[in-house]
Amino acid sequence: MTNDLKAEVRRAVASLEGKPPKADSTTSDLSIDEELNLHAIGWEPVELVSGVSLFSTPVGLWNWGEGEISSASQAHALAFRYAIERIHKDAADAGGHGVVGVHIERRVYSTHIEVSLLGTAVRPVGAGRVEASNVFVSDLSARDFTMLMVAGWAPLGLATGASFVYAPRRSMSTALQQQSQNVELRNYTDALYSSRESAMERMQRVALDLRGTGVVGVKVVEGPMGFAPHAVGFAAWGTVVRLVKETHQFVRPSMVVSLNDLSVAFNAQTLH
Amino acid sequence: MSDLPEAAERRLVGGTFSSGLSVSDFAACLEMGLEPVGLVQGYCVMHEGAYAMGGVLSRNISPFGASGSLSPSGSGYVQNYQCPHGMISTEHRAWGQNYEQTWVQDVWNQGFTSAFQRMLEEATTLGADGVVGVIDSQLPLGDVGAIEFHVWGTAVKVLDTPAPTSAPWTTYLAGQRLAKVFEAGYVPVSVIAAVSSVRVWAYCVTEYLMEGFAGSMWTNSSNSSNAIEIDQIVTAQSWSRQKVRSLARAQLRGDALHGADLRLAEREFQKGDLQIEAILRGNRIRRFKDFDPLPIPQPTVRLS
Repeated sequence: MTNDLKAEVRRAVASLEGKPPKADSTTSDLSIDEELNLHAIGWEPVELVSGVSLFSTPVGLWNWGEGEISSASQAHALAFRYAIERIHKDAADAGGHGVVGVHIERRVYSTHIEVSLLGTAVRPVGAGRVEASNVFVSDLSARDFTMLMVAGWAPLGLATGASFVYAPRRSMSTALQQQSQNVELRNYTDALYSSRESAMERMQRVALDLRGTGVVGVKVVEGPMGFAPHAVGFAAWGTVVRLVKETHQFVRPSMVVSLNDLSVAFNAQTLH
Repeated sequence: MSDLPEAAERRLVGGTFSSGLSVSDFAACLEMGLEPVGLVQGYCVMHEGAYAMGGVLSRNISPFGASGSLSPSGSGYVQNYQCPHGMISTEHRAWGQNYEQTWVQDVWNQGFTSAFQRMLEEATTLGADGVVGVIDSQLPLGDVGAIEFHVWGTAVKVLDTPAPTSAPWTTYLAGQRLAKVFEAGYVPVSVIAAVSSVRVWAYCVTEYLMEGFAGSMWTNSSNSSNAIEIDQIVTAQSWSRQKVRSLARAQLRGDALHGADLRLAEREFQKGDLQIEAILRGNRIRRFKDFDPLPIPQPTVRLS
């Protein structure tokens, strides 16, 4: 970094008088900190990429039945799969080797399930193209991606799993009997356990299929479905990782004592 | 000829400066040798004629018709969907269409560009080199189908440099983040904003799928699981993202778009009549020197 910032700014602004570069344009939603992080390990942003999918689910399936609501679970899995395939293709077409900082938007309605992915395709500086099947997609931030790589690990892709399960209705007599009691509602507890086990097993199956060692940064969304009180859902997703160096590289943090709180002194209020 | 009101021109040469910067951003600007000279703004209120009587959407259905043959030349993306059932009924949607709303994009582009140019005029009047901490907004104005476009920011002069000979550069960034952009070897060129708008006029299969009739005879499902992708909506959503990115790219001319912010808004006018709008903003930046070699980042634990 430069010592004379004012001179650097003057030099930068003077350069605008020249002609624009004859380079390929790039697009990215990374902050300058994230880009510097990437650059430090020899990677660069290439393109803002996305993938979406919307799967229909039969409206009546949420209210009556037993066991898993398999159509909904499958619609969720397919929506993620198609959205991931599309962001893979978008990234590969742009010359990316992976996508970092993927924002995942997932909405479950009574009639359809929507998944939207948006992130920045990245590659080792100046690297050539790779097949879409070799592109990784990760919801880790560029900073986390950098730390992961420094530690000798690599992201392999997104793993997701979801399961929607009916919580069986109690009989009328049981419901009346329990009305004034403090009692566990085993139908809901069991349904939550059932959906969790299926969803986690599915997510871990995807990780194994990607030949990963584990899944980091797992996010979990679970609970009753707002539009169907006797259905519960559990969904989990995260980034599959594998050790690519011989051993884990221990990254020992340095301890610092801040004498002056710079993060407060330079809080950029105009940004979002 | 200047677009500025006379009162604004008088005020801008008045003596004191105004700024939209926070105190910390103001301090960071001074560190960079950027001297705030004025809070500059541009407005433009646009009327959307498409929805008014006689407008292209006054019939409340696709302006292009079932065949797409009414599509005006050069109007952009249009994709037709035909009913596979062979039914004729006033309630059965025998055709559907995704179409680019070029008139929405035109309104947006004209409104944003005019407001942006008016802001630049104010900055030029002040002799500014650039405008930092730009903010823009688009808000409905009253109930007359009008949109207020507002772009504003803080005009700055670069200390110890000759008077600028070209239009001011602009950036959404200010403060420490802008300093990092310079230090990383980039110079801000301009803020970039683009919009894409697609209208989805659902055909019967899309309508049934959105209403949850997957697996029924109407959705032509060969999939025993009843999980069917809603192709018309997916296509429209994908198109809106790709289009707005290509519109932003067209403004880059070899530079990079940094810190992009892509937002989607969906609006259902009535059953089976959906609008998907994508707005992409970001900073167009240009490399003026190679990255300095950077060390591998070292994690730190802060003791407090």
